[in-house]
Amino acid sequence: MEGKTPGFDIGAGQIPGELHLAAGQEAAAVGVCHHLRDYDTVTAPHRLHHIAIAKGVDLNRMTAEIFGRETGLCSGKGGHMHIFDMDVGFAASEIMTEGCPPAVGAALTAKKRNEDNVAVAYIGEGALDQGAFLESLNFASVHDLPVVFVVEDNDWAISMPKDRITAPRDGSKRADGFDMTGDRVDHDDVVAVYEAAGEAVGRARDGNGPTLLEVQVHRRMCHFMGDPQTYRSKGDQTAHRKRDSIERLAEDLRAFDIGDEELEALRDRGPRSCQGGDRVGPKNNRSPSRRLLTRTCSPTHPRE
Amino acid sequence: MNGTDRVSIDTADVWPEDAEDDERLVVNWFVSKGSQVEAGNSICEFQVERVDVDVPSPVAGTIDPIVLEENAAFERGDTLAYISHE
Amino acid sequence: MAVPADLDRTMTMSGAMVEVIATEMRADEEMFYMGEDVADCDGIFDSTEGLREEFGRDRIMDVPISETAYIGAAVSAAQEGMRPIAELMFVDFFGVSMDQIYNQMAKNTYMSGASVSVPMVLTAAVGGTYNDAAQHSQALYGTFAHLPGMKVVVPSTAYDAKGLMHNAIRDDDPVVYLFHKRLMGIGWLPAPDGPKTGVPEESYTIPFGSADVKREGADVTVVTLGLHVHRALEAAEDGVDVEVIDLRSLVPFDEETVLESVRKTGKLVVVDEDYRSFGVTGEVISRIVENGLGDLDSVERVAVPDVPIPYSRPMENEIVPDSDDIIDSIHNTNS
Ligand SMILES: Cc1ncc(C[n+]2csc(CCOP(=O)(O)OP(=O)(O)O)c2C)c(N)n1
Ligand SMILES: [Mg+2]
Repeated sequence: MEGKTPGFDIGAGQIPGELHLAAGQEAAAVGVCHHLRDYDTVTAPHRLHHIAIAKGVDLNRMTAEIFGRETGLCSGKGGHMHIFDMDVGFAASEIMTEGCPPAVGAALTAKKRNEDNVAVAYIGEGALDQGAFLESLNFASVHDLPVVFVVEDNDWAISMPKDRITAPRDGSKRADGFDMTGDRVDHDDVVAVYEAAGEAVGRARDGNGPTLLEVQVHRRMCHFMGDPQTYRSKGDQTAHRKRDSIERLAEDLRAFDIGDEELEALRDRGPRSCQGGDRVGPKNNRSPSRRLLTRTCSPTHPRE
Repeated sequence: MNGTDRVSIDTADVWPEDAEDDERLVVNWFVSKGSQVEAGNSICEFQVERVDVDVPSPVAGTIDPIVLEENAAFERGDTLAYISHE
Repeated sequence: MAVPADLDRTMTMSGAMVEVIATEMRADEEMFYMGEDVADCDGIFDSTEGLREEFGRDRIMDVPISETAYIGAAVSAAQEGMRPIAELMFVDFFGVSMDQIYNQMAKNTYMSGASVSVPMVLTAAVGGTYNDAAQHSQALYGTFAHLPGMKVVVPSTAYDAKGLMHNAIRDDDPVVYLFHKRLMGIGWLPAPDGPKTGVPEESYTIPFGSADVKREGADVTVVTLGLHVHRALEAAEDGVDVEVIDLRSLVPFDEETVLESVRKTGKLVVVDEDYRSFGVTGEVISRIVENGLGDLDSVERVAVPDVPIPYSRPMENEIVPDSDDIIDSIHNTNS
């Protein structure tokens, strides 16, 4: 929040723009991406950082990108909503469900080349009604493509609750209409997601077609940093904050005799694997003109 | 005072009940010094915890003066402006 | 400037727009408003503040996030004689619903031999300057203005926003009403000085195709719109006697006001927040070249170079024209 107060200013501070934080959605990221390899493709929407971390995106370079540094994954051009790390097959688009057709395309490529790559497209439950998603379901189904569509259901699309904009309540039912497998994990639990995703990713990798998997998660914070959530009852906010899949996992681990010390050590590992904002590279203070106007097209590689 | 009274527009009167944050910021004035207002007219808005709060005029009268200008930070009980009325 | 000076009441641009929508909705039960987060959230950019409280969710409708469906539904409701307003949250999202906009909304009147009309307003937030990156910062003025069949309006002040909105709602044809986020007067997106103006209580219309001379001057004509009206006015404080023309609508385009100014100054600077090539700046200049070449001594244009809007602050600042860029171009017309 540095530089953004006393009056909250979305364009001020070290991280400007609409920053969508994913606290409360970790299980959906980890539970699915744990089954993936570097060469598998993941596309993500605006709320993407948990997925990027789970897919193994370079954390220092992602942090640099969030701070708009030249050393960032996208040279500071993409920003926190548009992270790309092609080394681990990760790409994001903030236009809702526009990551679905590309995931289908990655799967199509794998099929044509007879490779076992899998593609995963993440969307929020608010995106269940978007054309690109529905068209992608059909395309993937009719061509039997190795895609897993993951719907992160956090009950809210900004201020709009799911039941006011989408029917039916269970988004995985969309699969029925496209003659593909649909599944829903009703509780925010990483092990349950891991198990369901194991089936889905396995199905895809074995060439047995796509799956639509909806996962209940929670939006523990506002939609984007700066959203005052005036539309959301305090009760709902507290309920979402309480249901923390990380705490739930810690409880599960304690049941296996993993002590507090070890849990602390595990928690510590996360932050330590990233160097943090001030150390991710120089600030972009110098005149950016030259590199700004480059790379709207690819560097040309003549075909061999 | 020639039948004219002056009332202060007190920020405590419009302080949202459930706000935890103490920092406030004047965002927009919709009237200026000397403006005539009716009771209930929206005269300015300020920001609390990223929410814009509308301030209605408590009485009819003339704004004079504005104490907290746009972008001024303030605390509970500070005066936003004065209104002179008959 | 056309704003009466002695108004006691000033308003933000969003306040003025909302006041008009409320007034028109009270008068016409067949009007309704559709968009994402327009009911309980008052519009992400305050575009519907307080309207749900008065009109309820049946008329201030939160819709599924299906731009094709609800914009298309608005087109048809309008053809049935209702008066819908459909809001596209950010203009950048037009891609997912463009067919309903440019092949249906914009063409149905023409294609049907004028046997249907489409009296709807499509509103959308435009513009950058707060580091929201490539998919949330575009102006795209030229994109809509290029496609025939829709009127395209861009207010720069609360006074203009009110008159243009009344006109947009009452117009029998589709109007695209593009409001700049930076001008709305939102607490968390501070506006420059200028968009907040006096606004009369009573209704009034501002006809489309009437550009407004926001500042009179004798030496150089600056033609612009939206946020850049205010940046041009700032640049005009630099010493040269600049005339600043706010186009207010692109379609229809007020050629006469620009030509008249150029007849006086001989120098034209066109400023735009849209991409440089094949856009507003090129079009304005070619209109003046076609019909006023003899009056023209020199021409400059200031626009976003042909790259998507980058995220990082120094990079975005570099490509979105600021008052210094405008000042440089004003000086260039003299050299
Ligand atoms: C096509 C399109 N329409 C609208 C938006 C604006 N928008 C951004 S996020 C969002 C809500 C998303 O809700 P959901 O899909 O449930 O994801 P969540 O934010 O809850 O993670 C909306 C409407 C967009 N980015 N793209
Ligand atoms: Mg959601």
